Amino acid sequence: MDFKESPFMYAVALAVIAFVIAQSVFFLVKSLKRGKELGISKETLKTTMISSAVFTVAPAISILATVIVLANALGIVLPWIRLSVIGNLAYETTAAQTALDFWGESLKHSVSDPQQFATISWAMTLGSIAPLLLLPFLCKKLQKKIGATVNKSEKSQKFGDAISAAAFIGIVMAFVSREIYSYTVQKSNVLDAAGNSIVNEAGQILKVKTITGSAGLMSILVLICAVVFMLILDIVCKKFKLTKLEPFAMPIAMFAAMGMAVLFTNVLPESLVNHTWFEIGTELAQIYE
Amino acid sequence: MQKDYFDRVHKWGILWNIGALVTLLCIPVAICTHLGVWPELDSLLSIMPKLMGLYWLTAIVEVITYVPLLGPGGAYLSFVTGNISNLKLPCGLKAMEQAKVRANTEEGEVISTIAISISAITTTVIIAVGVLAFGATGSLQLLTEGSLAPAFEYVLPALFGSLAAGYILKHWKVMIAPFVVGVLFLYFVDPTMGAGTLMFITIVAAVIGVLILNKANKL
Repeated sequence: MDFKESPFMYAVALAVIAFVIAQSVFFLVKSLKRGKELGISKETLKTTMISSAVFTVAPAISILATVIVLANALGIVLPWIRLSVIGNLAYETTAAQTALDFWGESLKHSVSDPQQFATISWAMTLGSIAPLLLLPFLCKKLQKKIGATVNKSEKSQKFGDAISAAAFIGIVMAFVSREIYSYTVQKSNVLDAAGNSIVNEAGQILKVKTITGSAGLMSILVLICAVVFMLILDIVCKKFKLTKLEPFAMPIAMFAAMGMAVLFTNVLPESLVNHTWFEIGTELAQIYE
Repeated sequence: MQKDYFDRVHKWGILWNIGALVTLLCIPVAICTHLGVWPELDSLLSIMPKLMGLYWLTAIVEVITYVPLLGPGGAYLSFVTGNISNLKLPCGLKAMEQAKVRANTEEGEVISTIAISISAITTTVIIAVGVLAFGATGSLQLLTEGSLAPAFEYVLPALFGSLAAGYILKHWKVMIAPFVVGVLFLYFVDPTMGAGTLMFITIVAAVIGVLILNKANKL
């Protein structure tokens, strides 16, 4: 049996998942109790829970899809564990590749050496624990400072609201802008005919920078669809006083826009579907590092 | 009373945080013990500085950005469960907006924590069920290669498009500055800049925009 997918690995995964669920349930119970004490209506608490669960479904499935990207090299269990605690695809890929670089190996092949696998598991863990080391020292200080500022600005409610909305909007717009014009680059090892990495005299590995993702017509179309669907739902909810539907407007708009992505892919000419500002797969530069 | 609750959240958060650190470190320890191999020191000494240089610095920035937005409860939970910018952050922001509460008030703290804990539970369950039910059969490939693949490929524009639209009716004037600055920055300066870094530029643009609008009484 492949050691990467042994019953032992599954047991480790289940233990980690039990911890994550336990922490989430603990905070959920405590905040629900506090919410009731503060007089937040049962309806609001219930709506928050249901709409958050619905909202999470699509992004969670897309995270599940990223588990597969890493499963090829690392088996399915380690990526599963890593994407359930702290992880995200970009980080886990970089950590695994950086570790494999040490032996001149690449994520394109299945890792078969237990020592390499063990080293990757350490690299992924040690690289990602920084926030957990910082939070106990910084979280309280940050919250106290910000809390004081927010409470001061309550003097002029509208201005205070606009400033906190501005911070939210700033974040959302960073993501929106990237869907309009951006590309992503990934470094990977250049392999020789035998499938081995190429190393120079100084021990550096030859890497190639490749465009792996780019905004383009489809990302812009899906973005516009999501905006339009959401606006329509928002207006319909307000006009017909559909307060029960309101919390689900956003997940519905999101699903509808994702559905449009499938539709566009099937009906639009291939040249439009594949249009991106930067051609995916383009090799930008080769460097030893 | 307010001080009391936040203090308790910090106490719980720190305890769970320590628990999470121990759990996380147990993963490689368990794997190494089971396999009977340990990493050689020279390999870790070569690998870790490269990773830490990149990700420990990012961690400082993330903690400073996300704590004020998510509140302490949401932050303690988000940093353990991960996938913050593409899931926990938008989920928490949306819940607070919907419940008409503000971050860093006690009500905001409660709503954001509820949203993030539900989101964390849902994600963990979906990934676990997906891996256990479909992982072995290889049918998960359908998500990346099948006819539904485009839906998941474009989950981010769908998510942030609908999230942005929620603000259009109320704050469309505030949206102009960060939008224009964000796109122009990507176009003229660096199209590879990640959202985590670009966020700082767009937040500053949004806040400056609000200050100008406020001065001109156009808010």
